[in-house]
Amino acid sequence: MRWATLAALLVMLHGATAQAHHSFAAEYDGKKPATFTGTVTKVEWTNPHVHFFLDVKDPSGTAAQWEFTMGAVNGLFRRGWTKELLKPGDTVTVDGYLARDGSHLANARVVTLRDGRKMSGGTMADEPAN
Amino acid sequence: MQAAFVLLFLALALPARAQWSDVPATTVPKNSDGSPNLNAPAPRTADGKPDLSGVWRPDRNQKCPPDGCPDNQMSEQFLDLGWGLKDGLPYQTWAAELVKKRSASAGKDDPTSHCFPGGIVRLHTYPTFNKIVQTPTLVVILSERETSYRQIFLDGRPLPNDPLPTWKGYSIAHWDGDTLVVESTGFRGEDIWLDRKGSPLTDAATIIERIRRVNFGRLQTQMTISDAKAYTRPFTVTLNEYLEPSAELMDFVCVENDASGPQFLGK
Repeated sequence: MRWATLAALLVMLHGATAQAHHSFAAEYDGKKPATFTGTVTKVEWTNPHVHFFLDVKDPSGTAAQWEFTMGAVNGLFRRGWTKELLKPGDTVTVDGYLARDGSHLANARVVTLRDGRKMSGGTMADEPAN
Repeated sequence: MQAAFVLLFLALALPARAQWSDVPATTVPKNSDGSPNLNAPAPRTADGKPDLSGVWRPDRNQKCPPDGCPDNQMSEQFLDLGWGLKDGLPYQTWAAELVKKRSASAGKDDPTSHCFPGGIVRLHTYPTFNKIVQTPTLVVILSERETSYRQIFLDGRPLPNDPLPTWKGYSIAHWDGDTLVVESTGFRGEDIWLDRKGSPLTDAATIIERIRRVNFGRLQTQMTISDAKAYTRPFTVTLNEYLEPSAELMDFVCVENDASGPQFLGK
């Protein structure tokens, strides 16, 4: 049991590390765009990426939690973001790209805020344009 | 009590700012319409040298794909330092193979992706801001990336003999007319990437940066890298940085993200 807990811990720690500042292509699939509408449950204004979480309901009404990442706090604040724009309880729509690993994780390219304003999530294209 | 009133007055009198991402550009020459004149001549210090001081951001010369530009433009040289060179970087065979392998995995092992420092080459290309603070005998580059510093000594000291290798190495400089010529050695041998492709730098490297403030708004660095272990010949790249006249540095502490690990475990 103790080993199972340790193994789970290591898996989760690895997951957390893998979200550290990285190439877009290493984690997300630019060919898998997706749109979500849901209720914000948590926002982490952290570097190297801002994270927020939505409860997204499927057509049957069942809610699932999705995690979204944006750019660094520095860049987002310089582009007009403030902490007031995205708060728990807000209903927002996110246009983004799904994670490669198929988990409930996506890169938020555009966030439509509670007042209808659209804000860029600061997505970077980190592969040279061909 | 009086002090409390003064504080209250100041709090009411000063415009509320959530952060210093947009501060008045008081020392910047202005055009007739009041906008910053970034084409004005470079300023000079009291001793007549070009003043490199300011908050600078790397170039955003990334080519846009046919379906439009990305939201966050970067420098082509952040992705590939050899961009703009006819034949790219002159890799030794092993280095070329290593870069191929690193590129194939989308740069997932890039040390900066794991919150390690980027080194002095990427200080010019990483899309965070730097602040240069200049004195006659020392130039300091404060980087919001890694919340770190770089020191360039102009006090006549020589480069150290057999130094402890570091991420940024050791830098000395002198003025050649209006150009600051910086020489650096003493780099770590295996874990410095020069770009997202994974171009390596080894402990055999010497880097010469010729830094010139072309005008008020642009800093240009001609960087020559000599590293016989990884490259067949020295090569020179030109890197541009641009003044951010209204910006202030903001901490970029990459390991904040790692600190969020326990929250995932606990909730």
